[in-house]
Amino acid sequence: MAKITRRSFVGIMAASTTALSMPSIAFGAIPRVVVIGGGAGGATAAKYIAKDSKGAIDVTLIEASKRYYTCFFSNLYLGDFRNYGSIGHNYYGLAVNHGVNMVHEWALSVNGAEKKVNLGSGTSISYDKLVISPGIDLKFDSVNGYSAEAQSVMPHAWKSGTQVQLLKSQVKGMKKGGTFVMVPPPNPYRCPPGPYERVSMIAHQFTKTNPTAKIIILDTKNKFSKQGLFMEAWQKYYPGMIEWINAETHGGIKNINASTMEFETDLDTFKADAASVIPAQKAGAIAMNSGVNNGDWCPIVPASMQSQADENIYVLGDASIAKSMPKSGFSANSQAKVASNHIRGSLTGSKVFTPRFANTCWSLVATNDGIKVGASYKATAEKIDKTSGFVSKTGEDNSLRKATYDESLGWYAGITSDMFS
Amino acid sequence: MKSKLFVLLLSILFYSSKINAEQKDLVGADIEYGQHLSGECVTCHNASGLNNGIPKITGIKTEVFIKAILAYKSKQRDNATMQMIANRLGEEEINSLALYLSKIK
Repeated sequence: MAKITRRSFVGIMAASTTALSMPSIAFGAIPRVVVIGGGAGGATAAKYIAKDSKGAIDVTLIEASKRYYTCFFSNLYLGDFRNYGSIGHNYYGLAVNHGVNMVHEWALSVNGAEKKVNLGSGTSISYDKLVISPGIDLKFDSVNGYSAEAQSVMPHAWKSGTQVQLLKSQVKGMKKGGTFVMVPPPNPYRCPPGPYERVSMIAHQFTKTNPTAKIIILDTKNKFSKQGLFMEAWQKYYPGMIEWINAETHGGIKNINASTMEFETDLDTFKADAASVIPAQKAGAIAMNSGVNNGDWCPIVPASMQSQADENIYVLGDASIAKSMPKSGFSANSQAKVASNHIRGSLTGSKVFTPRFANTCWSLVATNDGIKVGASYKATAEKIDKTSGFVSKTGEDNSLRKATYDESLGWYAGITSDMFS
Repeated sequence: MKSKLFVLLLSILFYSSKINAEQKDLVGADIEYGQHLSGECVTCHNASGLNNGIPKITGIKTEVFIKAILAYKSKQRDNATMQMIANRLGEEEINSLALYLSKIK
């Protein structure tokens, strides 16, 4: 631990030109914020706390991976619109530009009473304020017959990494005229339009190389995000290829068999040649090992993103109950800025502004055809309440759809720069 | 030499009064608030000044920024995201953002 402290001190001195203006904390100690998870919530929080505190707060980011592949835009990789390398990012920018200490380890548990995070190496790191932004874990047993083992046969690909690459190779290798079955998750889950953008991108692949292939969606819901827009696009670009069967119609997925590739429902038993099963989800394991969860997710104070269970812990992104915001990278980034402002205020006395949140989710349905949905939010005592919103319309002209797609590319460049540089 | 100095002084006076006038017009502008609010912008508008698919706003002239925001607010300019963002910005917020964004490269 001494090594981290010394390194962080040097980093801070190097990053700061206003070392003399640091507040007089007892014995000159600098307050420390530890952030667990280097995704859209955690990386953004680490950066903004370090950047805006100008050396007055020591920031340590714990993230197991040295290279982070975004979950957002992984569908574009499935559709051959991005290569995998282009959605990978590293943490050099946070370390070099903002003096964030990177600890590439697993955080195992949190001792809230002692304000310590226990690491996989057996050491621990203490904090004044802790940010937990671990994303999701999958509830494999939410679908009968699905399991951690079955994920290599029917990839969920709902966390970026090897799963997404596996799914793509299975899609590309599927037999000609075969059937792809997709099981989207029940609410609430990461990236509400994601399963349907994925179907669009897989259909786009099939159109090029396997045009007689079929896609069957056995949904666990009866409706989904941007449904009218997706269905219009499927009809327009992939006529006859995609069949969406809602939960009411198929009566529930009774069992899936990863060795025979069969999906048993009340309606029928469907046989797949390739499949993606996205099970129900819950907050990442560290949230469960920190005592800040209530069931599957973590309740927060809407105005600050502080855990309702521990005022020194903030929970961001997918793991939090940030109702009415969807679980998305954009939401996590937005929440991180609210939390950062609040954390700096409580540690250094800097001004805390009225929180404001926003989200936009873009989806690509076919080449140069982008759609979007978004909303702005404010904090009330009970929840993060939607103040206004918008959604693309059916029948929009090609130039607007192309502009929306181009906008999504700009957003990807913007948010990843905002997170990592 | 004297006349050159006079011209120099005159131009300094002219430009400083212009800057003062510009900042005076920005009612309620607070650069710290502007910086805070800009966190919402840079999720999409690249803070390093990239200009692909989403316009560059760093270093934007205050009057250009304000005109654009007001056009989104009145829905004269299209883009559902920007109309929503602009709609919840008050005068103090628009001016604070204008001031901050004009000052960064």
